[in-house]
Amino acid sequence: MTKVSITKLTKNYGPGIRAVDSISLDIPSGEFVSLLGPSGCGKTTTLKMLAGFESVTSGGIAFDGQDVVSVPPEKRDIGMVFQNYALFPHMTVRGNLAFGLEMRKVPKADMDRRIQATLDLVQLTPYADRYPRQLSGGQQQRVAIGRALVIEPRILLLDEPLANLDAKLREEMRVFIRDLQRRVGITTVYVTHDQAEAMTMSDRVVVMFGGKIAQQGRPGDIYDYPVSRAVAGFVGQVNLIDGKIVGVDSGIARVDTPFGPAEVKAGHRTEGDPVTLVLRPEAIDILPADAAGGVTASVVASYFSGAILDYTLALQDGQTVDVKTIARQRFEPGAQVRLAVDAHRFWPLEVG
Amino acid sequence: MQSASARPRAYLLLLPAAILLIVFMAVPYLNIFVISFRNPGQGTPYADGYTLLNYTRIFTSTLYQGQLFNTLWIGLVTTFITLVIGLPVAFQLGRADLRWRGLAYGIVLSPLLVGIVIRSYGWTILLGNNGVINRTLINLGVIEFPLPLMYNSLGIIIALVHVFLPFMILPIMSAVQSIDPALVSAARSLGAGRVTVIRRILLPLAMPGIQAGCILVFVLSLSAYVTPAMIGGLRVKTMAVTVVDALLDTFQWPLGAALALVLSAIGALIVVIFARATRMRWKVQ
Repeated sequence: MTKVSITKLTKNYGPGIRAVDSISLDIPSGEFVSLLGPSGCGKTTTLKMLAGFESVTSGGIAFDGQDVVSVPPEKRDIGMVFQNYALFPHMTVRGNLAFGLEMRKVPKADMDRRIQATLDLVQLTPYADRYPRQLSGGQQQRVAIGRALVIEPRILLLDEPLANLDAKLREEMRVFIRDLQRRVGITTVYVTHDQAEAMTMSDRVVVMFGGKIAQQGRPGDIYDYPVSRAVAGFVGQVNLIDGKIVGVDSGIARVDTPFGPAEVKAGHRTEGDPVTLVLRPEAIDILPADAAGGVTASVVASYFSGAILDYTLALQDGQTVDVKTIARQRFEPGAQVRLAVDAHRFWPLEVG
Repeated sequence: MQSASARPRAYLLLLPAAILLIVFMAVPYLNIFVISFRNPGQGTPYADGYTLLNYTRIFTSTLYQGQLFNTLWIGLVTTFITLVIGLPVAFQLGRADLRWRGLAYGIVLSPLLVGIVIRSYGWTILLGNNGVINRTLINLGVIEFPLPLMYNSLGIIIALVHVFLPFMILPIMSAVQSIDPALVSAARSLGAGRVTVIRRILLPLAMPGIQAGCILVFVLSLSAYVTPAMIGGLRVKTMAVTVVDALLDTFQWPLGAALALVLSAIGALIVVIFARATRMRWKVQ
């Protein structure tokens, strides 16, 4: 198993065009890390530098402490899964799996055994002698993963592998890839712009904007404790509430909000400082108009999507908030309701 | 998916091409086929009655057999040389990151921009005993007597390679262009070096283009008339030249027709064998 260290990695495309800006990242052996960000944030460029397809302007990449910056891709011992699968159309499934083993001059008997084991792993044994274009998108995807894994690479790199699949298959494949990665225990770097994908699959999410790492951490921590407006907005829906600190007591700051008082960690802030609070839509409870507690609001719009109902509501001061509830009780647009929030569900942003 | 009722109307679109093929290909071929069994005429293209004589003449005459063999040989060698020269050019032109694509395209197509007579005449100026090449070499003292570059198969092959190179390059280039660059990355990530990538990935995937280029150049070389006539002169005759002689000079239409058909049949047979040998199983449904 391999540990990956990225130090001050930078990529310039010509003067003034910096795709990746001095990022540092340590990936422990066996960890599943997602690079998450909008297009152009440098996540794919970072992956290509890890694979060796993109030259490094400055900084270092080491596998198990051994520098690989000058090692060509064919000698890096990586398994890579491409967005469009990049299966060899002139080879059968078996031929695609055999290719990497042939490059490594694996003996025939050993090769057959490993191909069979991988076919079983990706559940493609009945399709071994088909050509890629005779397979469905999901099957092609599994061939691509099998082809990357059969060579038992040091690290597995995946470049938006689910982007071309339909929604249902995408969810199945998330679970499939995650299970497979856990079973094989391979160090994995996964590039995606889909926050749900990154959240469900990763041990750690690295959010990137403008070539820099904006925040990294466990999926739950990134979601609950985002550092910036951009991160908060990228990993799910968010209500941002501007307030002022009205008092600090033993490290806890009290903030007045339209929902009543909030209690957040004070950090370096003192009384009177402005602060922006993150409030996730599912942290707000909608109560009937005659309920006790909470603040009055009216339903502006509601969006039904099966298990979940998304509401847009207007507070009395005109501010709108988004609320996400399970679709058990429904309120029609125009209805008066009350909104209640626990004082501890707010989170203050480090930067505005 | 098309609905079943839309199908017949879609086939109507093939009608102009079908009419063109039947009227201008099938009917003349049928006519040639019939004429090839006619008796030779006296002062007329052919006489009444039917005979196998024209074919037995071809298969018993060492002259015609030699010409036939030579024509096929010129076709094969021309194809081979254009493939060897054209393949690397096509691979470079097919690269996604190519600059000056327009210019490169123009250079490849340039042999086709000048009429074939003028182009062949140009080659006689270059290849003749008093031609530019021999003069230069003699003046430089490299050789004492002129090299035989004209009135032989070598000269014909040199000129044909020049003329037909675009027909080899263009199909291979378009096949290479259609190869997903990610396949190269995938192969490299699996441990393949540059040579292996070419041998195992690019060449097999360019095969449809290579096949098309080879077949095009081969059949064009077999049927080439102007270039062999001008450069081969009276000394070396390819089948196409002999057929035209039979039709126009000696006025033996039945013999000319038989010669043309034998050449077509053998050429077609070689093309079929080649196509089967290079058949791509992954392309077959």
